[in-house]
Amino acid sequence: MYKLILKMAWKNTFTRPARTLLVITMIAVSMSMMLAIQGLYDGMVKNMIDKNKRSDSGDISLYAKDYRVQKDIKYIIKNAVKIKEDIEKLDGVKAVVLRLNADGLLSTARKSSFASVHGIDLQEEEKFGSFSEFLKDKVNGKAREDALGLGKMSLAKRGAVIGIELAKTLKVRIGSKLIFSTQDSFGEIKSIALKVRGIVQTTNILLDSNAIFVDITLLHNFLGTSPLDATQIAIMSENEKLVNVLKSKYSNLDVKSFLELQPMIKQIQAMMVIFNSITFFIVMSVVFIGIFGVVYVSVLDRIREFGIVLGIGMQYKYIRAQIFLESIIVGLIGYLGGAVLGIIFLVYLRDYGLDLSSFSDALEMWGYEAVITGTIKISYFTTTFGAIITASVLSVLIPLRKIKKINPIDVIKAQI
Amino acid sequence: MFSFALKNILFYKGRSITTFILTLVSAMLFIVYVALMDGSHNSMLQNALKVYTGAIEIYHKDYRDVGGNEYLIRDVKTITDKLLHVKDVEAFSTRYETYGLLSSKEHSAASMIAGIEPQKEKLLSSIAQTLKEGEFLDENSGNCLYMGSGLVKKLKLHVGDEVSFIGGASDDSFAADIFRVCGTFKTGSFEFDSSASFINRKYFDELMYAKNMASYITIKVKNLDDVDRVNSEIMKVLDDENLESLTWKTLMKTMVKAMEVDSVFGYISLSLFLVVIFFVIMIYGFINVSSRLKEFGVLKCIGLSRANIFSLLFYEIFILSSAAIVLATPIAGYICYYYSINPIVIEGLAEMYKDYGIVSNEMPFNFDMYTIVWNIGVIYMLNFLSILYPYMYINSFEPIEASRHV
Repeated sequence: MYKLILKMAWKNTFTRPARTLLVITMIAVSMSMMLAIQGLYDGMVKNMIDKNKRSDSGDISLYAKDYRVQKDIKYIIKNAVKIKEDIEKLDGVKAVVLRLNADGLLSTARKSSFASVHGIDLQEEEKFGSFSEFLKDKVNGKAREDALGLGKMSLAKRGAVIGIELAKTLKVRIGSKLIFSTQDSFGEIKSIALKVRGIVQTTNILLDSNAIFVDITLLHNFLGTSPLDATQIAIMSENEKLVNVLKSKYSNLDVKSFLELQPMIKQIQAMMVIFNSITFFIVMSVVFIGIFGVVYVSVLDRIREFGIVLGIGMQYKYIRAQIFLESIIVGLIGYLGGAVLGIIFLVYLRDYGLDLSSFSDALEMWGYEAVITGTIKISYFTTTFGAIITASVLSVLIPLRKIKKINPIDVIKAQI
Repeated sequence: MFSFALKNILFYKGRSITTFILTLVSAMLFIVYVALMDGSHNSMLQNALKVYTGAIEIYHKDYRDVGGNEYLIRDVKTITDKLLHVKDVEAFSTRYETYGLLSSKEHSAASMIAGIEPQKEKLLSSIAQTLKEGEFLDENSGNCLYMGSGLVKKLKLHVGDEVSFIGGASDDSFAADIFRVCGTFKTGSFEFDSSASFINRKYFDELMYAKNMASYITIKVKNLDDVDRVNSEIMKVLDDENLESLTWKTLMKTMVKAMEVDSVFGYISLSLFLVVIFFVIMIYGFINVSSRLKEFGVLKCIGLSRANIFSLLFYEIFILSSAAIVLATPIAGYICYYYSINPIVIEGLAEMYKDYGIVSNEMPFNFDMYTIVWNIGVIYMLNFLSILYPYMYINSFEPIEASRHV
């Protein structure tokens, strides 16, 4: 019996093909647009998180107490090298780096700006977050041919790598000479001459607009700090419990997880969830209205037909099953169309991204790259599937009530 | 045809109510969303303009791109005398900016130190109004330094403390002095408050050997909307190819572009809602005409032309759209107007997004009639487009065929 009902539902779905195709198109277009927008926005945030972790805080960072508030090298982690070795032995730790940071004035012969010098070990940073990938040597996948793109990742011979926004502010290019002045650990004002070897875009706003990276040993010597100390220990780890382990083990230090260090990203993530949920709800509500309209009219068109089959003894439950099936078929085909279109959009956005090169300066200012790439999550498809099928099922409830209330004799007699 | 359309609307209540509600929702959503987006952007730009950047600024060519003391404006007096003759210029002032190291007893920090004309500056920027502690500068404030609250905190200074300065003078010689902290300010701009400090030009010019020189001249215009016209006048009056006069649109080009990017994303999100609503309105319109095919067949048989049919459908959607828009516009307009005067306040917003230059917790709406009108225009256009497919569907039937349609 149900096989016959399925057959009838399929045939009835396409009795008015234009109407059905319109609903299918509506579901497919709205779903694919929604998936593409979700993928694009999630991709932006994912990219931002990934690059912030790789360029700066990792999954967890340790600082001396008060360092983050005072930003003074007086608040330095003593014996950081030993702590690093101990952390490396812990479960789930992928990489650990030491950094030495100090704020000061960075000058060329013509311009000056505030800057933060970051003493790093390039080899360790490469293991930690593939630091060389931040080198701004490409534009839209092609080698950059202007003066900003001829650099290399080298800190040898007082070489320095500079954030792209800071480079723009100071109008420096590869090979430019810079003077960095700051107060050393003894309170003396000192200056050091540096040569720009590379320009990086980390998409971490603070680093791109303020940072200059130099060799950590050079910076220790310049600031007069012990090579065993550091202002930051950054850790890459997949172990979610590690932060609590470190908090209890190093209670004399300031141990922070990535999201504790980046409350803004936490808020952006929360806002994205709210935005996506509201979008999802509104779109699905409107889709529901669309499906409802078609199903309702389709039922009204056939009300006499339903009266006849009820009159000759067909049970109401079979009619109900048929209407449900008709609506689900429309929803399912729309979903499949939307999923295919959505995958095409998402794969394109993942592989090629949305090219906003004409706004590259503005995007760099916000900490985004000129080409924004999307991401693909299975959950996009599963939640949308659930929502479309739910909308399809709910949309038939009122039409079914209409059928349930009909008197077969009256509708058979009625002139339609 | 109009009254015929009106009768149809009243007869087919289901379709009419759905189209009305969807148009109402989409029009309100569109107007309010665009007002919120534009309002936030305007607020960011206005805050940035109020704080320090002028509506127009005059530079020596290459000062901004190359920099250096050779690109300082040399004969400031001649230029400012000329500016007195430009009507619509409300106020102007000269600024001498340099970067140097400020040191307290234990701490040092880099700072932008600007020599300003205190009385004129009060008319041009909100630096004086953002006084947090102590006092703002005056013509006789000598070595008084007016510092950003973040910078003061960084150097662990208090009002009355001394602070040493080392920097480069206008002749590239070394300049050093001891200043006294007389006041602190807090504009809300994180970067500005933690890096900027101000001093009376009269005193600073002696130290920097910068008499009759300026990094630039900042200008306030009577009406910001006239900025391009006033700028052209200034260029004409200056008549000096070594000088460039730039409006805030150029000075804050990156920020303006950033707003455009944000708007692009905003419109992408909004387009999703509009497309879905467009489809539903079209589907309901289509269902409606397909159930009236017989009626259209008869009408065609008795002589109604294609143009008449189009007019009928057009009037129907026009009446429904207009009814929804007439209701949506005042409601949405009032929401925009209310929140443009009483902005939504989100506590912690400025602190959270300080790196993005957001200086206020307020999210004002932009109440602008022109914007509302074009928003309504878009909704009308989408609704009109929604009748095209139903119209083509009707015309795909011959009159006799349609009149027999079941």
